[in-house]
Amino acid sequence: MAQGNKHKWGMVIDIDKCTGCQACVVACQSENNIPLNTEDRFHQRRAMEWIRVERYWEVPDEYRREGANDNPTEPTDAPWYDIKARFIPILCQHCENAPCEPVCPVFATYHNDEGLNVQVYNRCVGTRYCANNCPYQVRYFNFWEPVWPERLRNQLNPDVTVRSRGIMEKCSFCVQRIRRGELKVEGQEGGRLSDKGLAEGNFMPACVQACPTNTLIFGDYDDPNSRLREYVEVDETTGEKHLKDPRAYQLLKNLGTEPNVIYLKKIDPQFEGD
Amino acid sequence: MRLSRRDFLKWSSLSAIGAVSCIFPDREMQIASSVEMPEDLVTGRDNWYATLCGQCPEREGIIVRVMEGRAKKIQGNPLYPTNLGGQSARCEAGLQAIYHPDRLSGPMLRSGPRGSGFFEPTTWQDALTRVTNELRQLQAGGNTEAMLVVTDPLRGQLGNVVGRFATAFGGRHMAFEAMEQPTLNRVVKDVFGQDTLPDLDIDNSGYVLSFGADLLSTWVSPVRYSRGYGRFRSHSNGTQRGHFVHADPRYSMTAANADQWIPVIPGREGILALSIAHEIISQGLGDRAAAQAMTSGAGAAALEAFSPDNVVRSDNPLYVGIPESMRGVAAADIIRNVAHGFAERGPALAIGGGEAGAQSNGMFNLTAIYALNFLVGSVGRRPGSGGVVFNPAPPVASAAVDAGSLTDWMTAAEDLRSGSVRVLMVRGANPVHGLPGSVRFASAIKTGRPFVVSFSNFLDDTAMMADVVLPDRLPLEDWGDDVPNPGPGYQVVGFQQPVVNPPPGLDPRSFPDLLLTMSQELGLDDGLPNTFRDVLREEAQALQALGRGSVEGATFEGFWNGLLQQGGWWDEGAVSSAAPPVPPSLAELVSQTPTPVVRSIGGGANVFQMVPFLSNSLLDGRGAHLPWLQATPDPMTSVTWQTWVEINTGKVKEMGLEEGDVVRLVNNEGRSIEAVVYPHPAMPPWVVGVPVGQGHASSGEYAMRDGEKRGDNPISILASEPKTETGSLAWGATEVRVEATGRSIRVSKFEGIVPAFPIGVRDEDIVQVSRE
Repeated sequence: MAQGNKHKWGMVIDIDKCTGCQACVVACQSENNIPLNTEDRFHQRRAMEWIRVERYWEVPDEYRREGANDNPTEPTDAPWYDIKARFIPILCQHCENAPCEPVCPVFATYHNDEGLNVQVYNRCVGTRYCANNCPYQVRYFNFWEPVWPERLRNQLNPDVTVRSRGIMEKCSFCVQRIRRGELKVEGQEGGRLSDKGLAEGNFMPACVQACPTNTLIFGDYDDPNSRLREYVEVDETTGEKHLKDPRAYQLLKNLGTEPNVIYLKKIDPQFEGD
Repeated sequence: MRLSRRDFLKWSSLSAIGAVSCIFPDREMQIASSVEMPEDLVTGRDNWYATLCGQCPEREGIIVRVMEGRAKKIQGNPLYPTNLGGQSARCEAGLQAIYHPDRLSGPMLRSGPRGSGFFEPTTWQDALTRVTNELRQLQAGGNTEAMLVVTDPLRGQLGNVVGRFATAFGGRHMAFEAMEQPTLNRVVKDVFGQDTLPDLDIDNSGYVLSFGADLLSTWVSPVRYSRGYGRFRSHSNGTQRGHFVHADPRYSMTAANADQWIPVIPGREGILALSIAHEIISQGLGDRAAAQAMTSGAGAAALEAFSPDNVVRSDNPLYVGIPESMRGVAAADIIRNVAHGFAERGPALAIGGGEAGAQSNGMFNLTAIYALNFLVGSVGRRPGSGGVVFNPAPPVASAAVDAGSLTDWMTAAEDLRSGSVRVLMVRGANPVHGLPGSVRFASAIKTGRPFVVSFSNFLDDTAMMADVVLPDRLPLEDWGDDVPNPGPGYQVVGFQQPVVNPPPGLDPRSFPDLLLTMSQELGLDDGLPNTFRDVLREEAQALQALGRGSVEGATFEGFWNGLLQQGGWWDEGAVSSAAPPVPPSLAELVSQTPTPVVRSIGGGANVFQMVPFLSNSLLDGRGAHLPWLQATPDPMTSVTWQTWVEINTGKVKEMGLEEGDVVRLVNNEGRSIEAVVYPHPAMPPWVVGVPVGQGHASSGEYAMRDGEKRGDNPISILASEPKTETGSLAWGATEVRVEATGRSIRVSKFEGIVPAFPIGVRDEDIVQVSRE
């Protein structure tokens, strides 16, 4: 950035490693001043998790019904011992063609030149069009003014704005950390913020830093040495991404949103009969 | 001020010009995010300090971000050998403990009836004088054994300080843990000949077979095991993806992550392990010499009763409970396939614990499970080569205090009741919440009326019974150390330093410092320095004198600073030199009773065996006061803030219940708890799962609901009989009857808050059908 370095931030999520432990969820809440999810918030179906770990019940093919995935608690005729649970962390996909962006009447959400889908809180007027248009359901609306007991406010991260009532919010890939990294590594030291620099300077997104199994891999698609390039090939001229890992896929790819988050499929050897 | 018409026109034309000239400056036309920091913005300076987490017994190495004297973020310490930068949700929430609104501000004296929660503040001097006076009375009466100090299981120098204080005074010290592990410790001692738990090197194993241990969530050292699991599932660098099989009566988070889950009847894990052993031996797999030695030369014949074909027959007393076929594979073949995989895809690792050890035959189960490691040559391996890696003795003298068994606690409760304990000091433990209701610990305190001193930061269930509460400093505010158990296969001493001061207005004092002060006041000869920091500096001097390890320093101050900067001292070359032990005799093991005794309710409808399990976020309840942890969805059910009961979906329907119905779980003594029904499609129909962690009678705003108990505590209805062979609580052996209450509430779960969506088209679904 400061040295004219171009970045295209992205993430690879290996769901074969995700155990569903929720370390990323709490790490995110701690880093990003997410309002406390009280019991009432859950009852009202308005709890906020910028990153969430979804649990799906997976049944053998013969019990599979069209649209059964639509409700993860839907009863199934499959015998209990043949049902499996699957975990998948879902966060803002930072789409190249983000459906949330063109519908915002006030340009509160836009795409920056580093591949981030950014939310400008002081511009947001709370139409919630973006949340309606996001197929990944990763945008959360502040229905109330966030409240912390006075002493608990000591913990709030000074790098992150506390959003007020009426504002839409969502995962920012911890842009405050990336900016700190860019300022330090590129602004002061004159290098390029690489995977190594991100990890050593604590500039990785909080969820990535927390994950004990290294399910989440964060990096820069524009950096040829980034770990992301193990899974994705990037056309140097057009910047187009081609998934090269056979397990790689994008959520709801058919919608053409071109997410910058790539998933690696779960492996189930039982399907091979071993 | 008067404004003439002329002036008005003059001013308005000027301001119009001004407005026009600044309507469209360049910067305003740029769309810029306020969440992005402009490059010219001066950011606050943060410091990261290394220390140890105190949220759970694992004690991960952490780094804490501190800005302007306030802790802002906790992350795993990438250097610390056990967790290597990984962390858990529990660890993160340590921040909320510091700045919690219900934290006690200073010492308090009881001002109402015991347990009423009426306390009044006092000075430290007054509070300490009262405590030392009580202790002096015991000294004067020659009755020093009437002092009982109760702590959590301690390691490192804190164990040393408490132990020496208790010994020098002439009193007793006991450690308390709700879901205790004495059976595991004893089996590790008997089978492996080790005093400390070995490192289970999942990272470098090719096949992991676990029984009952929820190792990716809460068992022993979950962050270390999760880190290993991540590498075990690694696909890069040409390594083969490890295969994971988990046997468990409950479809837990660990079971969900296994390639194969084997449902078993609670307490029959040992039988399953012997069946796998039978197949390995009869097929001549694995280490044949070990097999011969372990069966006294009889080979598979010694285990004939446990052959796969036998243990899958439902009419056999040794039936393990595997359904006839799972995903088209017959039950006996499942066992055979596991045996082959275990013996052929090494290095293999068998792990047992949790519910498998919490049965009347817990030792039998765990012995049979850990014996499997001998059959495939996985015992006593070098660090980094998979299997079971022994840990060396700590580099400096350290006192590990293991948890007492249920028998010990029942005796302690009797001593309290009879009045033979006159002073009870409790720190880091909550026995009133964590002991089964049948022990009646709270009533023992009320009857015996000892002088109770609590060192808790919050008015938890046990602190409510106290005469004096002396709030301790939290781990992030205090000095400390830790010798991890299990260690990573080499010597490690973690160091904990205060990274922040307590928040303004709070005046907690360090527990070990208070003990050292009292020790001086009472004239005890404990042979320790005056402050805990000095105790640790002496330890650091001993480490420096070794002249090896990860910290170097020409001077002691340099060494000390290096120690604190790294968060500890370790020496990867200092590994265990213990010779592989003699394998346990399977021939002898089969002569024991292999089936568990269950606290039966005597038949009837809607009777299930209850499998309590530690909450993934609240653990045994020690995190219940922290809102982040209360709001963390359970991995399997996504339920938050409540106590739920997981019941097989079909059974729920059969009983005429549905999600959200409040049911009563009643044990054979008529004790009951209430829980909200969560229909669990993968739960075996003969068990119900209930999380431990809620049901506090106190502990502050978030642990309670409108001043009342939030949820319920399944430990309270556990039977004190049967016990395990070590006399500890067989917490997996209680039957309950599920009774409808007729009430129904909304389940506070995350599931359903965002509509689930089909994840990709069919062939791009989350479940890959091929390894390729």
